[in-house]
Amino acid sequence: MNPGPQIQFYLFGKEYLPVTDTLLVGWLSVIIIIAAAKYLTSDLSIRPKGKQNVAEWIVEMIYKQIEPMLPGEGWRFLPFIATIFIYIGVGNLIGVIPGLANPTGDLNTTLGLALVVFLVVQYEGMREYGVWGYIKGFAEPVIFLLPINIIGELAKPISHSFRLFGNIVGGGIIITLIYQAAPALIPVPLHAWFGVFVGAIQALIFGMVAIAYISVAKS
Amino acid sequence: MIDFSPEVAATIINTVSYIAAGAAMIAGMGPGIGMGFAAGKATSAVRRQPEARGPILTTMLLGQVISASTGIYSLVIAIFLIYGI
Repeated sequence: MNPGPQIQFYLFGKEYLPVTDTLLVGWLSVIIIIAAAKYLTSDLSIRPKGKQNVAEWIVEMIYKQIEPMLPGEGWRFLPFIATIFIYIGVGNLIGVIPGLANPTGDLNTTLGLALVVFLVVQYEGMREYGVWGYIKGFAEPVIFLLPINIIGELAKPISHSFRLFGNIVGGGIIITLIYQAAPALIPVPLHAWFGVFVGAIQALIFGMVAIAYISVAKS
Repeated sequence: MIDFSPEVAATIINTVSYIAAGAAMIAGMGPGIGMGFAAGKATSAVRRQPEARGPILTTMLLGQVISASTGIYSLVIAIFLIYGI
């Protein structure tokens, strides 16, 4: 048993461009998201009905999380935060289907997302204070704190990515152990807990921590 | 310095890795206490102001997840020790 990404096949002969199950399921969830977005936003009208209500509910739910922490800029950050939230949410929930691995149960995925958030945080800080003003902010209140501040800033993407990775992989390992002990019926509530509940909470938390980092960099 | 044969050395490393993984998970105590403390405070806050339930829940979850980070670090270290990634 190996919790890491499993190599399924190689593109271009052997040993070149390994394709892992993370990659396959990640692209599958992207296709699911695009298809669902196309379906939910076809024939929009002023009076929402049916499926349009679902789309508006998702957008407003994410907007209500952003607006209190970044006042007046909810719509500016909505596409970024909503992309992260929906992708991680679908990636966490797709592991409930037997035979599919979570794309978020791979450190490559989560670290990539956390690095994107890290770059956005740096950009927003520089946009708010100017490049030199933002860099000078690391040396405050006294110059001796400069290395500690820089290490604290670099620790953010690591803790951000390890949190999601550890939660998903830990749940997956527990479910695998239970399957080896009791294959029938007993794992079902565990799927409900580790797959659905923890997955949804972790997707929400990843987006909210990204908002919190951005609002810390801007204040 | 004793010279072990490679098989014995691999066995010792495996054994010590499993013991170390178990020891790393002792860190699970701290986040448990901290998250329970935050949940208790949030419960009394909801009791005092039931209309502020939504914001209290959001703040509690954010704080709990930040304090759960240390437990997750120990879990990741334990996974790395066991599977030797």
